[in-house]
Amino acid sequence: MIHLQQVSKLYRTDRVETTALDNINLEIGKGEFISVMGPSGCGKSTLLNLMGLLDEPSAGSVALDGQAIDRFGDRALSRVRNERIGFIFQQFHLVPDLSVVDNVEIPLLYRRMSNRERRKAALAAIDRVALSSRTHHFPTQLSGGQQQRVAIARAIVGRPGLLLADEPTGNLDSQMGDEIMGILEDLNQKEGTTIVMVTHDPRMADKTHRVVRLFDGRQVQ
Amino acid sequence: MTRHLLKLVWNRKRSNALMILEICVSFLVVFVVATLGLFFLDNYRLPLGFEWKNAWNVHVGLGRSEAGANPSGDFAAQQAVYARLLQEVRAMAPVEAVAGSWVVPFDQGGMSSTYDVNGRKVDMDADVVTVGFDKATGLDLVAGRWFEEADASQAWAPVVIDQDLARTVYGAADPVGKNLFDPRPGERPFRVVGVVRDFRKGGELMPNGNFIFRFASLDHPDGGPLRNLLIRVRPGTPAAFEEALVKRMQQVAPDWSFEVRPLPQVRATSFLFFLTPLIVAGTVAFFLLLMVGLGLIGVLWQNLLQRTREIGLRRAAGASRAAVHRQVLLEQIVLTSLGVLIGTLLVIQVPILHLIGVLSNRVLTAGLLAAMAAMYLLSVLCALYPSALASRVQPAEALRYE
Amino acid sequence: MIKNYLKIALKVLSRRKFFTFISLFGIGVTLMVLLVATALLDYVFAARTPEVHADRMLGVYRLTMQGPDDTETTQPGYAFLDRWVRPMTKLPSVERIAFVTEAQTAISYLNGRKIESAMRRADGEFWRVLDFDFLEGGPYTAADDEAGRFVAVINETTRERFFGGQPAVGKTIEADGQRFKVVGVVRDVPVLRYASSADLWVPVTTAKTSAYKEEWLGGFYALILARNHADLPQIKAEFQSRLREAEKHLPDPKTFKRLYAGADTLFEGAARLFLPGGRLEENPGARLRAALLALMLGFMLLPTINLVNINLSRILDRASEIGVRRAFGASSRTLVGQFLIENVVLTLIGAAIGLGLALGVLRAFNVSGLIPHTQFQLNFRIFFYGLAIAVFFGLFSGVYPAWRMSKLHPVQALRGRSA
Repeated sequence: MIHLQQVSKLYRTDRVETTALDNINLEIGKGEFISVMGPSGCGKSTLLNLMGLLDEPSAGSVALDGQAIDRFGDRALSRVRNERIGFIFQQFHLVPDLSVVDNVEIPLLYRRMSNRERRKAALAAIDRVALSSRTHHFPTQLSGGQQQRVAIARAIVGRPGLLLADEPTGNLDSQMGDEIMGILEDLNQKEGTTIVMVTHDPRMADKTHRVVRLFDGRQVQ
Repeated sequence: MTRHLLKLVWNRKRSNALMILEICVSFLVVFVVATLGLFFLDNYRLPLGFEWKNAWNVHVGLGRSEAGANPSGDFAAQQAVYARLLQEVRAMAPVEAVAGSWVVPFDQGGMSSTYDVNGRKVDMDADVVTVGFDKATGLDLVAGRWFEEADASQAWAPVVIDQDLARTVYGAADPVGKNLFDPRPGERPFRVVGVVRDFRKGGELMPNGNFIFRFASLDHPDGGPLRNLLIRVRPGTPAAFEEALVKRMQQVAPDWSFEVRPLPQVRATSFLFFLTPLIVAGTVAFFLLLMVGLGLIGVLWQNLLQRTREIGLRRAAGASRAAVHRQVLLEQIVLTSLGVLIGTLLVIQVPILHLIGVLSNRVLTAGLLAAMAAMYLLSVLCALYPSALASRVQPAEALRYE
Repeated sequence: MIKNYLKIALKVLSRRKFFTFISLFGIGVTLMVLLVATALLDYVFAARTPEVHADRMLGVYRLTMQGPDDTETTQPGYAFLDRWVRPMTKLPSVERIAFVTEAQTAISYLNGRKIESAMRRADGEFWRVLDFDFLEGGPYTAADDEAGRFVAVINETTRERFFGGQPAVGKTIEADGQRFKVVGVVRDVPVLRYASSADLWVPVTTAKTSAYKEEWLGGFYALILARNHADLPQIKAEFQSRLREAEKHLPDPKTFKRLYAGADTLFEGAARLFLPGGRLEENPGARLRAALLALMLGFMLLPTINLVNINLSRILDRASEIGVRRAFGASSRTLVGQFLIENVVLTLIGAAIGLGLALGVLRAFNVSGLIPHTQFQLNFRIFFYGLAIAVFFGLFSGVYPAWRMSKLHPVQALRGRSA
């Protein structure tokens, strides 16, 4: 589903050049549940950003579903992000001034749908993460685990084929972390969603199909 | 999308309160200035009812005040001199017509009263004039006739009213020959002998009102002479004629004083009098808006800086740069609408409370719309740069830290 | 210590140049408008040549006669003033009383040129109640007035117009069909000084007819010079009681029953003239003062909201910095204090800019000659008012944001959240 070929990412600030990723070759098949592990600063998040089209590689190519997205303009990239990719972040990144259902709706705003259809899809996604009792609550009224569940609902509301999760359980205690992991596993098994998860926790990584290890921007085994 | 944004702005109303307040107050300021300007503009379009281009006004100082509180002088002798004055002036070559008048067109002073007509209180402005006033000012008679000296010996006092007054009192009926009302018990009733087109003594900037002309006979005067002469001169008469005119008048009445003011000059002064406050207010309003605009840019910029994460999130969820740009602009429009709405609610109280009777609803509405347009324009302009910045937020950067 | 705060303040302000710029713009423009308006008011109402004793001078500028059907308001007439005001000279608190007419246009034709001059008729006492700046010659006297001599005092501009700027004393000038001999030339008096300004002044007795002597209404002012500023209330009260007495002797009691007037300072006189309904009040000055204050506050509303908004943004912008400082032990008081000093520095710089702009505007006014004979100046008193307003303005617009800042939770602030 995702194919990274000789991908490198360099950051240049003034006169300092940092290599975040160096010559990464990675292929992820449809329906796989992958974890990416490695120490801090090794480029895990950068890798995820490239896969999620949030950033461009300095060298190499990224292909999604066989399509090379090198020359995609902003509009096209946004379309792909909207329809085929869902994001989950460590800090949740919920909009504090919007209720749960309004937060979940956000990806659907950038698609042509009627308000009623959006509502329906959002409620379905909220139900999927078992948060229906909190539909109209605000993020500040929810626990960490509940907030992450909202974030997941938001990520899946558009039925994307690919879910990218950046340390989704990093801010949660072990019990909530297990809950989240459970939802992800469910999505992968029942709906066949491809999931790439960056994590620190070996327990979580063990539950996935494959582990990709990074060190100083390079793939190691 | 709009519903989403409405909810977003509404949920953030507390932190946006100051901005909404600022927009509301600016809206009110623009509204006041715009309404005043539109008021003058609206009046300017209407016909004046008289000619001023070749008219001169002469203020006659009789050496005494004209106020009724002074002991009466020798009216008969003064009127005789006055009548001769009119004759002599009429005889001069460049003069086409001359008449006496109490009131000067374009001047702020005047006579206005409220009379009881058929049980209703009617406001009207008035002037007392001699025969020939219609020719001196180019009045347009639409019914009946102008005054004649013979009218002085009738049992009634002749008046000529303008179309406004005719409509107010008589509707569509013909007012000529009807008795208008009794000015005071024991005095001759006013009878309409003619109707002229709407006469606006105040000039083009003043609104239309009811006007009534009363008759001052030269042969049978019942008071002192009228303190102004209105002279129509031939087109092309040089300003030098003024000196000759004054010399001749001084010969007829050596102890009276004469001040000649061409009506174009009186008109210019009156325009200055009315438009100066408007110009000053407009300039101040402009600077205030400039200040508000700059403040808006700063505050907006700061707001968006704080929302970098939210923007990054939306980009990750599939919003294109254009979509983010659009969202910021739309949000600003919603905010402005809130401010404008509150301002409009306040303004609507004005006609309801009859605070300003002279401004028509049409002018007030036009002022409202102009102020709305101005605020939306200002808001959108101020949001352009911050929204462009917002759309350039790199999602990866935005979502990275915390 | 203060110097430290100042240095920090300037550094901080230069970091966010845009915010600093818009704050300065707002304060500068607001102050400019306020200073210009204050200069205008001061120019019209404060003591200034020739009304050097304006603080102990009262005038009767307007008389209103009211009856059931009619109300007439105009300047008082000679007869009224002569009978009811002139005797007040005998009061110990009154130094002298002068009569002068309102300025009327007098037209002269000189070699085919039309010249319009503002002319007033004044008695001899006029030159002793006021203190004109004579460039040539001197005033005419009460004796000249009694003898009915045709003499005149002219201003600089008139000298320029009629005599090409050459010495004018002894020469003849013709105005409104009469000929006068020039006895003195004075510096131009600003048109806004409504009690005394004119282009030429001639004796009262030179009026074309003597009808004025019998008039209750029409054309005259009485100027009363008190011995001390403290005597003014007593003189006002005395005038009011004479007014009540005069009411019993109205010349046309069928038409008019009541009299309204006041012995006013320049400010009160203007209030009586301009405020709707002012002519019927005993003390219209209070209402005008309230109206002006309301206008000023209303004008400052928008700039204040704007400045509070900007200040708030400035603070929130530095939320994380504040969080760091708090985490390292800075107390709320220190932070608020620093912020307020920044605010005051900003306000003072803005005030300086506003002052510069105001001076520029006033100079433009003077040069343009829009209002004849006017030379606006900013004196110390006006600048002091302006400064006081600016400082108040600055502190006031900093209070709410400073309060918000002190409420910032350090942890939240470090995270960049401001609520």
